[in-house]
Amino acid sequence: MTEHIAILVEHDGKKIKPATWELFAFTEHLAKLHPAAIHFIMIGEATRNLAQQLSTQTQCQVIAADIKGADTYHGQIYTDAFTRLLSRYPATYIVASHSTSGMDMIPALSIALNGTCITGVENTDKEDQTLYFTRAVSGGKILARLCAPLASASAPLCLTLSPGAFKPIAPDKNAAPDIIHTAVECRQTAMIYKERLASPSLGSNLTKAEVIVSGGRGIQEEENYALIEALADLFPRSAAGASRPICDYGWAEYSQQVGATGTIVSPKLYIACGISGATQHLEGIRDARFIVAINTDSNAPIMQIADVCIVEDLTEFIPLFMETFQKRKRPAD
Amino acid sequence: MKLLVCIKQVMESASQLKIHSDGKRLCTFESTRYEMNPYDESAVEEAILIKETVDNTHIDVITVGPSHAEDVLRRALGMGADDGIHIIDNSNDFCPPIRIASWISAFAKDRAYDLILTGIMSNDEMNAQTGPMIARILGWPCATAVIKEDLSSDRKSIAIQREIEGGARDVFDISLPCVLTIQTGINTPRYPSLSKVLRAKKKTFTTIEASQLETLRPEAVLDRLVLPQKTAQGIVLEGSALDKSQTLLDILESKGLL
Repeated sequence: MTEHIAILVEHDGKKIKPATWELFAFTEHLAKLHPAAIHFIMIGEATRNLAQQLSTQTQCQVIAADIKGADTYHGQIYTDAFTRLLSRYPATYIVASHSTSGMDMIPALSIALNGTCITGVENTDKEDQTLYFTRAVSGGKILARLCAPLASASAPLCLTLSPGAFKPIAPDKNAAPDIIHTAVECRQTAMIYKERLASPSLGSNLTKAEVIVSGGRGIQEEENYALIEALADLFPRSAAGASRPICDYGWAEYSQQVGATGTIVSPKLYIACGISGATQHLEGIRDARFIVAINTDSNAPIMQIADVCIVEDLTEFIPLFMETFQKRKRPAD
Repeated sequence: MKLLVCIKQVMESASQLKIHSDGKRLCTFESTRYEMNPYDESAVEEAILIKETVDNTHIDVITVGPSHAEDVLRRALGMGADDGIHIIDNSNDFCPPIRIASWISAFAKDRAYDLILTGIMSNDEMNAQTGPMIARILGWPCATAVIKEDLSSDRKSIAIQREIEGGARDVFDISLPCVLTIQTGINTPRYPSLSKVLRAKKKTFTTIEASQLETLRPEAVLDRLVLPQKTAQGIVLEGSALDKSQTLLDILESKGLL
């Protein structure tokens, strides 16, 4: 019997989300290490078109079920429906994105399917016939290598893939679609979806800024956020941003939050001050073209992705840099 | 109402991190300090806010960890929780979330809690599994990444907002009992009050030896902890702070970023 790898599809009813293509890239890598057929499992209000597109593009089988209210994520409906679908179409590896929906349902799915669970996976490798999965711990300063040696179709490994860990692959194969449309009965009564509220970061000037200077926990005092704003002011078309913790402290507005749960930015220049580089922040600056990191910790994860690393205390370095900047500017005026 | 808050003791975020020679845990040093996982602190605060508005509310806090983990129970009581339960696990072994979730749900099962709260994740292991796993084992509904909650007047359901990508919020009405995992920013956790801290000092906690508890479910196995490979392509500026500021200016100028 062929083994399977199941991708739980993320979409918004109209389009397949890029996270799904990251999952596809990951599973292609996984299938090289552990030969298995990749198939997609999706639920939604009306899945016909997207299922067709997905199968045509990838030449993989798509198992799809139409369920009322499933175009937006609903913890109970999704967990219930995927449990039923995966019991009918079992897989050894079940992968979802480490998104706010994947994180919500995968731990529950792993229990419902009597499997194991590994979240936030960044890579997989094989050693002595065992597959290992690597994930970040301690804010990305350490990696944990885990395995689920007994993973099988009757005890699957359910995992979430860290966003950005794999570059999305959206193939264009033009294959004959291979789709199983099926029905699942979903009894959900304990949880009612009401509405979606806009993000407080909606309309923030971060999306348009060409230069963003952001402050993180390393600013240490609320007053020091003024340094971040002053540094941003040196540049035209700039904005001051912040990491999540300092928005939580109330030192900056949530509209200034850069990261997965704030604004995803794509400036020409991003200056990260006192930001260690938690995954959720790095996700927000993936498209920044040039990154400067100022941090006292040379081992901070942000230093791994920065183009220029400056190991200094920002409260001393920023005023010094501003002075240098002004001095150099003056003769040219 | 009866609330249970699941909390974890973690190393302070600025702690020195060194992998133990056994490869499976982090070294502890004399300088190592512990604190309550910040996400769990928000969960404790949220429970106390509920207690302040709903009469006859009782808050239990539960932790799984070595002997010194009881400090976080004391801190929670200092903040305003009522009783502490300590599942003592001095084994130093890797303890996967499913084991913790099994133990906590076994404890919670017949105790008629209306609501179980915990942080969205711990900031050391960052699994974000324990909360939703407890819910599944108990067969309760669950919402993760909760950024706002509002109990209904009949106390039979709770309106919650959960944070999704980009900071938008999905609003749900959830019947009680349920499990909520709390996102930071939902509140500002209070400092323990002196009078409560003094009372907490005298308090004895319910203790359960982890070795007596069953672990029946399949678990992921930790092979080892490793340091991330340095993949940095960037340049590290050298010299005095002034040298660095001049070099940075040169670089930005040459890239046309000024």
